[in-house]
Amino acid sequence: MTRKSTIFALVAPAMLVITATSTYPLLFALTSSFRRWQLSKSPTPGKFIGFDNYARAFGDRFFVNSIQVTAVFTIISVGLTILIGLGMALVLQKPGRLNGFIRTLLIFPFAVSPALKGYTFRFMLNPEYGIIDQMIDAIFPASADLVWLANEFWALFWLSVTETYGWAPLMALMFIGALNAIPTDIFEAAKVEGSTNWQLFRHITLPLLSPVIIIATLLKTIFSLKMFDQVVTMTGGGPGRATQTLNHYVYHTAFVTLDMGYASALSYILIIVISILSYFYIRALYGKGGI
Amino acid sequence: MLTRKKITEIGNVLTGSIIILFLAFPIFWIGLTAFKPERYVFSTKFSFAPTLDSFRAILQAPLSFGPLTLNSLIISASTVIIALPLAVMAAYAFSRYRFRGQQALLIWVLITQFLPPVVVVLPFFALFRQLQLVDTKIGLIWINLSIVLPYSIWMIKGFVDALPTEIEQASLIDGCNEFQTLRYITLPLLAPSIITAGVFSFIMTWNEFLFALILTRQEARTLTIGLLSTHTATGIRWDWMSATGLIVMIPVFILSLTIRKHFIQGMTMGAVK
Repeated sequence: MTRKSTIFALVAPAMLVITATSTYPLLFALTSSFRRWQLSKSPTPGKFIGFDNYARAFGDRFFVNSIQVTAVFTIISVGLTILIGLGMALVLQKPGRLNGFIRTLLIFPFAVSPALKGYTFRFMLNPEYGIIDQMIDAIFPASADLVWLANEFWALFWLSVTETYGWAPLMALMFIGALNAIPTDIFEAAKVEGSTNWQLFRHITLPLLSPVIIIATLLKTIFSLKMFDQVVTMTGGGPGRATQTLNHYVYHTAFVTLDMGYASALSYILIIVISILSYFYIRALYGKGGI
Repeated sequence: MLTRKKITEIGNVLTGSIIILFLAFPIFWIGLTAFKPERYVFSTKFSFAPTLDSFRAILQAPLSFGPLTLNSLIISASTVIIALPLAVMAAYAFSRYRFRGQQALLIWVLITQFLPPVVVVLPFFALFRQLQLVDTKIGLIWINLSIVLPYSIWMIKGFVDALPTEIEQASLIDGCNEFQTLRYITLPLLAPSIITAGVFSFIMTWNEFLFALILTRQEARTLTIGLLSTHTATGIRWDWMSATGLIVMIPVFILSLTIRKHFIQGMTMGAVK
């Protein structure tokens, strides 16, 4: 066998399956996005209408709303994830039996199915018998009348918390790995010079950690934009459309109003954003030289 | 008097406890509620006589979650079994050879990994209706490969990259061809990594929700979709939801523990070491 045919035999089967499972739907959605296609009327895409579906999006207030919701959700969930992840990493990187035990615990929240996370927090936030609701009411009696998931801001906030709950521990694990790679003699030298803990963190830990923080932030941003399950199991997009992310709006347009052409165009707007972020993610991981 | 060291120690235990509470409490609460008698579900009581009523309720008609669990198992296992051999072959070629178009293919694989699932499911919904694959396990396995395969290629490639090439070269000099070398030398060395990739892929498929939500009706429903059936006319039966949730969580936790050393490589696709 020649070298060429060996490579082909090894790579072709996988690429064939990827073509059938990812490339095909991507191209199909692209062509559909330029067509009129109401699924209730026709099983296949209809007339070519150019960029009409895209143009329509910018006059659609539900679309604009979903962009705003997605942006706020992404900012809150990424911010919380990185901050809490970093905080946990700084505490847990120190050796010790307790910390070792907690480091093992870190993997569990991520393994919980996102759909189940949505239900779990919905249950715990119930205004009558939710355990989180009762704990918060005990500390802040002023919040007693607050129905968390009926409030536009708090519903979006708690949706971000379900996402943070799984991802912050994972990021903590990633940061612990990076922290352990920093040689300790740098710290000792700085301590001899009389640096405070805050100075150590600000001028040594943070700069050395920043490449990992950038990678973690990009990765989490991509996954925040993809988040879907909890919207269905926790808020259903409500109250009103206060937690309807772009993902959920695509889903709603495609499978409730059955407007596949428009849904394809909407999904392409999401793909473009995610592709740009993926590009930066690859750059951050492998540098300009590529893979 | 408290020494400075003592204070630091107390501080450490305190922050540790807060972190444990954050990590474990939601899981603990679901576990607790799964064993609560119905009348205690709507209270925040910690002490009660545990019962298996919820598990009986979800396994019996009309919910009958037994077949759903089986579906989840079959779909996850089949997806992994199909994806792994393909991923190993491709990952090996991507890692060991330099060829034209390699970078473009690798980036393409990475981008498909980041595609929002709702984009993938949209055309498949129309296609599966024509092929009559809606509500079948085959349809779900097919579409689940779209997330599992790119992911395992990247992850296993990371592991092959880390493997020294000397042994393979020796085997080639001794007269083995590439496939024999891959089969008898590289594969056994890669076994632990392949298992890790397999476990991650299994967890992703087991927890998958959106594809099953859109592409199943009755026959091929998975356990995560079963969660939706705990809605009743009077609201969600949280005891049933929790019992179902516990069955969803337990296998995944056990699997996670077996590969906990590789968790980070797993989630970042081998990129961050």
